[in-house]
Amino acid sequence: MNSAQIEIQLIASLVAIACAIPGTFLVLRKMALITDAISHSILPGIVIGFFITHDLSSPLLIILAAASGVITVILVEFIQKTGLVKEDTAIGLVFPALFSIGIILIAQNANDVHLDIDAVLLGELAFAPFDRLIWGGTDVGPKSLWIIGSILLITLGLLFAFFKELKVSTFDAGLASALGLSPIVMHYGLMTMSSITTVGAFDAVGAILVIALMIAPAATAYLLTNDLKKMLLLSVLFGVSSAIGGYWVAHALDASISGSMTTILGLIFLFVYLFAPNKGLFSVLYRQRQQRIEVSLLTFLLHLGNHQEEEERHVKHLNEHINWQKVQAKSVLDLALKNNMITIDHDIVSLTKKGKKFTKEAIDYIITNKNSEIENMKDRFFLFRG
Amino acid sequence: MDIQQYIELVFTDYTLRTITLGTAVLGAICGMLGSFAVLRKQSLLGDAISHAALPGIAIAFLIMGTKNSSIFLLGALISGLIGTFWIRGITSKTHLKSDTALGLILSLFFGFGMLLLTYIQKMPNANQAGLESYLFGQAATLIESDVWLMGIVTAISLVILLLFWKELKLLLFDADYTKTLGFNTKFLDILITTFIVIAIVLGLQTVGVVLMSAMLLAPAAAARQWTNNLSVMVILAAIFGAFSGVLGTAISASHNNLSTGPVIVLVAGVFVLVSFIFSPGRGLLFREIRFRKNRNDLQLHKTLSFMYNIAKTHEDIGHPHAIKILNNFQGFTRKSLQKLEDKDYVKISGNMWSMTASGYNTASNLYDQLITEEDE
Repeated sequence: MNSAQIEIQLIASLVAIACAIPGTFLVLRKMALITDAISHSILPGIVIGFFITHDLSSPLLIILAAASGVITVILVEFIQKTGLVKEDTAIGLVFPALFSIGIILIAQNANDVHLDIDAVLLGELAFAPFDRLIWGGTDVGPKSLWIIGSILLITLGLLFAFFKELKVSTFDAGLASALGLSPIVMHYGLMTMSSITTVGAFDAVGAILVIALMIAPAATAYLLTNDLKKMLLLSVLFGVSSAIGGYWVAHALDASISGSMTTILGLIFLFVYLFAPNKGLFSVLYRQRQQRIEVSLLTFLLHLGNHQEEEERHVKHLNEHINWQKVQAKSVLDLALKNNMITIDHDIVSLTKKGKKFTKEAIDYIITNKNSEIENMKDRFFLFRG
Repeated sequence: MDIQQYIELVFTDYTLRTITLGTAVLGAICGMLGSFAVLRKQSLLGDAISHAALPGIAIAFLIMGTKNSSIFLLGALISGLIGTFWIRGITSKTHLKSDTALGLILSLFFGFGMLLLTYIQKMPNANQAGLESYLFGQAATLIESDVWLMGIVTAISLVILLLFWKELKLLLFDADYTKTLGFNTKFLDILITTFIVIAIVLGLQTVGVVLMSAMLLAPAAAARQWTNNLSVMVILAAIFGAFSGVLGTAISASHNNLSTGPVIVLVAGVFVLVSFIFSPGRGLLFREIRFRKNRNDLQLHKTLSFMYNIAKTHEDIGHPHAIKILNNFQGFTRKSLQKLEDKDYVKISGNMWSMTASGYNTASNLYDQLITEEDE
């Protein structure tokens, strides 16, 4: 590894961390798409800033671009407040309009502006180490490293200073304002920070892929934990590992670094989406199947409890009268037998003492209909789950 | 170039005619299907799908090795549909919300597409000019066969819309009721979503990935302001869409350095802005006017009832009182007093006012009327 490679990975990791922190809060506040809007609508800000400064990494340009991000948020909220359209429509209307203005501005001044839309949207991390910051005659490292580093420091500082406030206002806005924390200040503070991060990250990974770095690590972490601190740590971890992994994939394929970073993020998300304990696709499907069988079992036991006649309690009755298929009928019967709720004597099913007790309590549950009760009950009665 | 010359040129010049027709048809189909997207609260689906289509285009290029817009469309359609149904999967099976799901699919698919694109660019047979145009859109690359394709797709979706009109309308406004009536909601859902995806994919080449969502939303959002009737809204949205296409093309063709996609989007944006402000039923302007009128009426009523309470204590209703005693009351202004006089509720002479009989009657019935109206 030469020093340029280390620098690229360092920049990518810092961008990933800086994005993951506000991203976590945006995902929790159900505002993930506002990053999409911001990342597009900073374009006019960048263009105007570039006209003034002629330097893509000057602080003024970053401030102007971040301001246009905040303006987007304000506009979206204004349109939403008029009640004429829903929030998502408002987002969808505002950012393409601002983006169009940006593109037209670039095209109109194409002759005297060397600003490539590709560069703004897609970014090129590979060139980042060549743009050095010279301080007092000595080379102190790549410019973007300094930019994203200082943004990350500010983000971390704000996070540690306002962690409690952010947490309260994210999960219970009502409580937060009752405690005297202004939800508006929190909201716009977060939005400003997201805008600044987006702008700071755009020349490293490109404006569009900032969205991936904000949303994907946080969403992946959210599938694994419900604890805010763990979620922040996990999303930072996912972000950094995708940054480093993505760099080496890009190195091997000779392709765009930001593209491969996102692809790695996508693969991580896919894996967690499928296999996460409790919240992953497979475990959700498994639990749904389990619950279906357990509900069938309950219905069946209630049916047995209601009937003394033998023909109603015959095993074949399941197929013929209740219209269950063989497999389902068998798995329900097996489950009931395993849990000692029924006995089968010459194909006639009867409830055991335990089965009767369970049925009685189940009826009580259905009448009072308290949701928490049923899981408790299952824990008490079931030796084996469906 | 004046308008007449331009119109002549539209009919004689092949390129201009193709582009104008193409953007008009595109605007119409986007407006039509966009109405459903907006009403189903899937506004940002357009954004997500247009980004999610990129890997499909790149893979189609990798497999076929040639630039062929119908193959690209197929690839885009397939990956757009995969994206859509994955979004469904995420929102229905996990606790992640739809905004997160949309953002995830949008960025992850797009990033993967970028990876493939840069990989393709390094290949020896890379002729990526056609691929780049999908990112930012290039109406100039439209050819007659593309317009035919758009026309055919529009016709098919029109027929499907008309065939399933009743069912789709029902699904739009009351999905549960539709299900209880025995309609196959899953099928209807997939049907309308597929057509929305098709419209998005068709527009990619013309306005590009980023601006496609506005193309889908803006005409529908504008049309929504003018009507509460679904069929009127769909027709209006199609008209708005077609007009933004034609106008946008005209503006960008008559200036240098103006790309068509952004101009079309801005024209559509102007339609939205005008509708937001000037639509008679919901528009901001008329809403403000109504608001002020109601507030003024309320102030008048307040003043009148205050006067009534004073006049009530006198045997002669017409007994004059000083205007000064109204001063400590908020609803009073010179203007409102003038208005009351115009309505012949009070008489003013000098510094004194006195109530007329009709004013007294109105004031005493003021709250009775409100009550009876509510009762009805």
